[in-house]
Amino acid sequence: MQTVLISELKPFLDALAEEMDLYVPKKSGEHYVYNRYDSSANVQIEFNNIRTCMPVKEFLFPLRELAAVYPQPIEPKEIRPFAVFGLKYCDLRSIEVLDRVFAEDEFEDLLYVTRRKNMFIISSDCSEPAESCFCDVLGGKPFAQAGFDLNVSQVKNQYIIETGSQRGEEFIEKHSSLFTETTEAILADRDKNRIETQNQLEQNNTNLKFDVPVNEMVEKTQDSDVYDEEAKTCVECQGCTRVCPTCHCFYLYDTKQEDYFTKMKMWDSCMRIAYAEVAGGTNPRKALGNRLRHRFMHKFSYFFERYGIDMCVGCGRCVDGEAGDVDIRRVLKRLSEELKGKDNRRAETAK
Amino acid sequence: MNRNLYQPINGGIVDIIDESPTIKSFVVVLEETFKFETGQFVELTLPGVGEAPFTPSSSPYDTKKMEITIMKAGKMTALLHDCEKGQKIGIRGPYGKGYPVEDFVGKDVYIIGGGVGLAPIRSLFLTLVDRIEAFKSVVCRFGAKTPDDFIYKNTLFDSWQKIDGVDIKLTVDGASGNWDGNIGVVTTILSSNDVEISNAVAVVCGPPIMMKFGTLKLLEFGFSPEQIYLSMEKNMSCGVGKCGHCMVGKYYVCKDGPVFTYDEVKGYPNIWD
Repeated sequence: MQTVLISELKPFLDALAEEMDLYVPKKSGEHYVYNRYDSSANVQIEFNNIRTCMPVKEFLFPLRELAAVYPQPIEPKEIRPFAVFGLKYCDLRSIEVLDRVFAEDEFEDLLYVTRRKNMFIISSDCSEPAESCFCDVLGGKPFAQAGFDLNVSQVKNQYIIETGSQRGEEFIEKHSSLFTETTEAILADRDKNRIETQNQLEQNNTNLKFDVPVNEMVEKTQDSDVYDEEAKTCVECQGCTRVCPTCHCFYLYDTKQEDYFTKMKMWDSCMRIAYAEVAGGTNPRKALGNRLRHRFMHKFSYFFERYGIDMCVGCGRCVDGEAGDVDIRRVLKRLSEELKGKDNRRAETAK
Repeated sequence: MNRNLYQPINGGIVDIIDESPTIKSFVVVLEETFKFETGQFVELTLPGVGEAPFTPSSSPYDTKKMEITIMKAGKMTALLHDCEKGQKIGIRGPYGKGYPVEDFVGKDVYIIGGGVGLAPIRSLFLTLVDRIEAFKSVVCRFGAKTPDDFIYKNTLFDSWQKIDGVDIKLTVDGASGNWDGNIGVVTTILSSNDVEISNAVAVVCGPPIMMKFGTLKLLEFGFSPEQIYLSMEKNMSCGVGKCGHCMVGKYYVCKDGPVFTYDEVKGYPNIWD
């Protein structure tokens, strides 16, 4: 790990764009979205204070992609090396979730793994958490701790670049003329900024401090009526699962072309009514409340049991991105209160 | 480099057998050697139409061809029923964990089945009778709506019943004509004396309602949840534990199943739906 300093982002991004396709955040309305970086265009380079609107999974697991061609298979499309600038720690943690699913040894998904190997990750510190951000509740932080090739921290008008991988080191060494050395003082300023942002985040979420780990809390309240009640505010738009960086359900469908067939892979949503339906119409999760329950159980209990990490990074995109009014934080809070009630009753009975 | 998970193996339908008014068996031959274990399932592609999960009904020892028995139940299966010999298909798999046949050795194997649930059971049955002396007994209790609705009639009504070590009883929901067997749901032909429960395993496969009441009956007889093997029918799509459609609680039915003990799944919501 090493740190270097640069006073403006353009030369750094230009150097990146020379080697690979580079995507950078751009403000669009209230949100940030990713755009292809064009070094020749004289556009203002933006340092995103928070995560982008759409999840990083788009780069690794596109909305729709060609999964197979038959009967005559074709060589998979070559994936050019690409870099994404401005990812936040929640994004990196969501990649960790996707890695568990798609890059596991037994059934490696080549579509995912090929993109993942070609992805160069440049994360950056959050400076101003959104109202919906609650990563701190789930063990996250407003700055990256691992999982990046390079991380960028803005300190006043300068940028500290930290390496997090061999590839990151090599890039910095190759372009060493662009950078100067960091000082103790500027690193101290960075750490001060980080603590301030973290404090602000924790302050925003003081009402979300739970006494028991979230996975245990959700598991213990799985029969709760909260899901059926909350489902009344859900309009089944499936927005929550689209914008969620860890949701990875997909749907395979076939198409007929002139002289061949394809299998396509497309995002799906467990909130869709026919999602679990089998031929003949039997459906284990017909009721919306049961679908919502399954979504939460998958995120906080089933996934945790299988892979040892939560399938939620607390990015809050689902809070911002849905048409209805199911707020993941409110559901967790209600479950926490219900569990407290249960425990109190149990304690009363024990007396 | 690993194989593309979503690439089907090419094959074709070489024969079609009418099993009942709503059920046909499709004999398929693939362009690559294909081996499966009994109880595992495959994803069958009808080119340009789609893909659906089925458990082969043939013996895993037959590696030249595979049989898949399909009930007309939805869009895809209706189109399959319209297919003729020579139809090109694709197969992905085999997927999941099948019946742990080695654990059945030396025991009474109590098989309860109904309707098209006899498809996976046939594959298991053929696996067991291939070395019938290894098992204490194979006791089958099968049900169908009417006598005509039984599948594999030629063998079920005849040669299978003559195998030493095999005991088969059948029942129908209703019958007209010359049916001299039992009338009633499958639980009406189950008896706690059918097998030595302390040294038995039970296998249940059939429509959800039958699976539920069959399992409850077995528990009533004194079977433990660990002794009861269920073949779960869920919406398996990717087959490799990723797409999420077939989840039952923490399990991916496609990867952790489709065969589960009742003990594994009993705590999860809506397992019979």
